[in-house]
Amino acid sequence: MIHVENLTYTYPTGSGGPALRNISFDVPEGQFVALVGPNGAGKSTLCYALSGFVPHFYNGDISGSVMVAGHDIVKTELGDLAGEIGLIFSNPFNQITGACYTVRDEVAFGLENLGVPRAEMIPRVEEAIDLAGLDGMEDRSPYALSGGQQQRLAIASVIVMRPRVLVVDEPTSQLDPVGSREVFELLDSLSRSGGTTVVLVEQKLEWVAVHADRVIAMHEGQIIADGEPRAVLASAEVERLGVGSTRYTQAARLARRRGLVTGDGVLPVTLDQAVEYFES
Amino acid sequence: MTTSLSLYAPRDSGLDRLHPLTKLVFAVFGVVVGVTLPGVWPNYLFFLLVLLPLAAWGRIVPEFLRAVFKIALPFAISLFVIQGLFWTNGTPIFQLGSLSLKAEGLAFAAKTTGRILVVMGSITLFVLSTRPDHLMVALTQRGIPKTLTYVLVSAIQLVPRFQSKAASILDAQRARGLETEGGFFQRVRALLPVSIPLVLGSIVDVEERTIALEARGFSRDGPKTSYRVLIDTPAQRIVRALMLLASVALIVFTVVRWWAV
Repeated sequence: MIHVENLTYTYPTGSGGPALRNISFDVPEGQFVALVGPNGAGKSTLCYALSGFVPHFYNGDISGSVMVAGHDIVKTELGDLAGEIGLIFSNPFNQITGACYTVRDEVAFGLENLGVPRAEMIPRVEEAIDLAGLDGMEDRSPYALSGGQQQRLAIASVIVMRPRVLVVDEPTSQLDPVGSREVFELLDSLSRSGGTTVVLVEQKLEWVAVHADRVIAMHEGQIIADGEPRAVLASAEVERLGVGSTRYTQAARLARRRGLVTGDGVLPVTLDQAVEYFES
Repeated sequence: MTTSLSLYAPRDSGLDRLHPLTKLVFAVFGVVVGVTLPGVWPNYLFFLLVLLPLAAWGRIVPEFLRAVFKIALPFAISLFVIQGLFWTNGTPIFQLGSLSLKAEGLAFAAKTTGRILVVMGSITLFVLSTRPDHLMVALTQRGIPKTLTYVLVSAIQLVPRFQSKAASILDAQRARGLETEGGFFQRVRALLPVSIPLVLGSIVDVEERTIALEARGFSRDGPKTSYRVLIDTPAQRIVRALMLLASVALIVFTVVRWWAV
């Protein structure tokens, strides 16, 4: 579904060198991939590269190839990628068009631009609203919703277009815990039931460890680790480069340093693994 | 905080359900009527016999009168006082010391007030009874570029957000000890720490909003469809055509009369 090969990209204003250096990875259809890494690692830039905004919106120098859902990103126009690749980012307020007076109209906005016939639009809008758990709010103004509801509206507005790949850049960083949980649950159910390929940038590693199929860790524009959540998130090397680690890994590492646990098995990254780790 | 700059008052009424273009054409027609009708009384009659009943049909009489008088009243007062007192070579009808009210001045003031009432009334009726996004759909369906209608309609909702953002930046800077009150120079000095975050923040917002719109195919080539169905009827089409014809006729009539003088 996603094939990236030797991708190197420099922003037009990039005095500090390339934002992405020699990135290569493949994502099969339906996989849920989490991108983790410290600020400035290139996670957001990679999201833009997967959705075509790099290079079409930001310009700059790009080399290597990016294929997403059968489209050569560098050669395809942004307008033709809309609907095929969904992009969601952190500020829910900036993702609302401002031109729509009800939740229904907001969700339908993308379909109108794609030229979907109205008869097909109606059930798709209802379905997306349902999936996002916004039923009962169809006729409210998008601005009368809470942050978490607005973010779910932004997601509904994107999934209604039935993208084959969903690129989600820190969707909960501006939300309160309740809003974050709502958004995470929605993303999880989309990936489990819908078979959508999801690339998610997320700092909440405890959540990533449980729900992602695979974790890619980035540092200074490069991929430093790529694999199963436990293999990547429990790695001391990854933590040292500023990616951080889950509280379970931290507890286990501390216990090992104090000599409370012996042996050198792989450290846990989820609650279940931690329970198992400390029991054995 | 207001949610929208729009004055639209949602009502379950026949006027509300009319096609947005019918109401837009009526507003244009009303403006033409207000500017071209000769004499003093026709405009007042149009206001009382056409605009007011339409407002009643739309169940927006209080909002309508409030909005119209808010604009028309200051004009009317200054017109009557200034034109009444300072009309040169007029017929005095009331004398108080060196001041005198002139009949011609009062007539002119009455005529102009009538024009203002009809022009403002027609526009107010349109604004109060038309949902901006419905107008956007109607205009887009008539071939007006969506980018243009988007700018118009989104401004109505986004400007209040911009204002509330400015207010929170102001509060944040005050909390850090910025003096925003006092003399003129004090206020000017406070402008910079408030406007710079506002402008920079807005640039970031615009960038993100552009990306979000593009990701939803905003500038995609090819035909667009609409989710909203606007009900148009043959009767409304005929009324619109008649109003446009009448507007043209009124303009021609006025220009001819004006030339003949």
